[in-house]
Amino acid sequence: MLEVSHLRKVYGSEETGNVAVGDLSFVVGEKEFVCILGSSGCGKTTMLRCLSGLAPATSGQILVEGNPVDGPPEDLAYVFQDYSRSLLPWMTVERNVSFPLRYKGMSKQEAKSATADALDAVGLGDRTKAFPWQLSGGMQQRVAIARALAYRPRVLLMDEPFASVDAQTRSDLEDLLLGIWERYAVTILFVTHDIDEAVYLADRVLVLKAPATVTTVAEVDLPRPRDQITTKALPEFARLRSELLSALRH
Amino acid sequence: MRTAPRVGNFLLQFLLPAALLLGYGVWSAQADSFYFPPLTEIGSTFAETWLFERVPVDLLPSVSRLAAGYGLAVVVGVTAGIALGLSRRARLTAEPVVEFLRALPAPALIPFALLLFGTGTNSKVFIIALGTVWPILLNTIDGVRGLESQQLDMARSYRIPSRSVLLHIILPAASPRIFAGMRTSLSIGIILMVISEMVASANGLGYFILQSQRGFEIPEMWTGIVVIGLLGFVLNWLFLRVEARVLFWHRGAKGLLGESAAAPTADAAPTADAAPTSAAALTADAPTPVAATADGRGPDTATTPNVPSTARSSRPVS
Repeated sequence: MLEVSHLRKVYGSEETGNVAVGDLSFVVGEKEFVCILGSSGCGKTTMLRCLSGLAPATSGQILVEGNPVDGPPEDLAYVFQDYSRSLLPWMTVERNVSFPLRYKGMSKQEAKSATADALDAVGLGDRTKAFPWQLSGGMQQRVAIARALAYRPRVLLMDEPFASVDAQTRSDLEDLLLGIWERYAVTILFVTHDIDEAVYLADRVLVLKAPATVTTVAEVDLPRPRDQITTKALPEFARLRSELLSALRH
Repeated sequence: MRTAPRVGNFLLQFLLPAALLLGYGVWSAQADSFYFPPLTEIGSTFAETWLFERVPVDLLPSVSRLAAGYGLAVVVGVTAGIALGLSRRARLTAEPVVEFLRALPAPALIPFALLLFGTGTNSKVFIIALGTVWPILLNTIDGVRGLESQQLDMARSYRIPSRSVLLHIILPAASPRIFAGMRTSLSIGIILMVISEMVASANGLGYFILQSQRGFEIPEMWTGIVVIGLLGFVLNWLFLRVEARVLFWHRGAKGLLGESAAAPTADAAPTADAAPTSAAALTADAPTPVAATADGRGPDTATTPNVPSTARSSRPVS
């Protein structure tokens, strides 16, 4: 699980610098699916960079599985928004996924089966020898997700992973992600600016306002398994959606 | 239907060379010029000289000097280029020296090379390496600096050790630029090979041409020129073959592969979801100017990474 307490991140000096994350505290429980909802520029990405250990926090503490983060944690994988820049075009799909595994101490056999499993889970078991640039945007993001899954993280951070695919692909990917979440039993922190997406996916939605401070917490009690049509037709869905919309506006 | 134009295009490539040869043959047969011997004479001299009597005497020494000098330049240029590309401080330190040395025409150092290494092979290798290292070095620096910061973020977040990052991310990412530099350097290398062999040499193609001219063996001189032309042609062709193989992914990612090549795997059959060409357009990797006009004047531009994506990840959120 993931615990964030009084996280603060300032670019530049404390007096004159740019405060990207003000005072952020939240907890994501074991195997919980939490969405962070915020408009552009609210500090979401900076927050994720701190959580993933890519950028040092100015102050505050982050615990992943009880261990303080002072560099990229072993139990965490980060799915970037821009799949085309985070996949390596000179490696096949399979190699992209298996590449980080050796350095995690997996044997060749383990890495191979973890790669095959993950690619199966995202429905790309038959495209292992293709190159990322031979795939559509949605498929490329699935490769990036498979890479994260094969790494066997306890916590998955996702930065607007479906922001640059079309609507149909997006809802397919949302369902795919929910299936994976169940199958791999991971804790997911999912950042998005899309209210429907947040409500549809999450157990809990946190609304973030600049400089990255939680202003609203909404528990999502929609039944699972969820369905793009029936779940979104529930009155509770509509209620949450308008609650979050007004939270975002104020 | 499909093969006919292909055969036609293939034959088209031979049309102009054949016409030029024929034109020269017809003209030279009746010109009776001492400087422009008849094509038949050049042909027979060529067979006498280069099949294969002088191949071990002149051609092999030339080629091995070129290979040694060029190989040295690739190793030094890529190694130093990666180091300078990664460290701004190293770049600033090295820049004045690099700019000075690269402005120096390598032939200007032939007399010095002769003093230092004598008239043997080493001085030629030195001159070739010295002249060919700069395009490789400068292009490598540019290639490394054009790296996607998100690829490095990805590597860090997966805790990939720096040695592997260097080998599996930085080097491949810079390879299109490295190859651009190597291609420029290859032609420079051939030029320097000839020039260095024209000064204080006992064998080699440059030596052969100069000796033939001095002995008024004009057909021999021409055959030497033809051999150099053929050598350059073949080496460039080989280079392009290697480049196409190594940079297969790069051309694919840029959407430059033909339909058949873009789907090398059997299972890559076009599905509704797969749109190789349009997806490839989005897969813009590092902004990679193809031209080999890399300049190393880094200090002012060094602070601003030339990758748009970095703005997103490293900019303070406004």
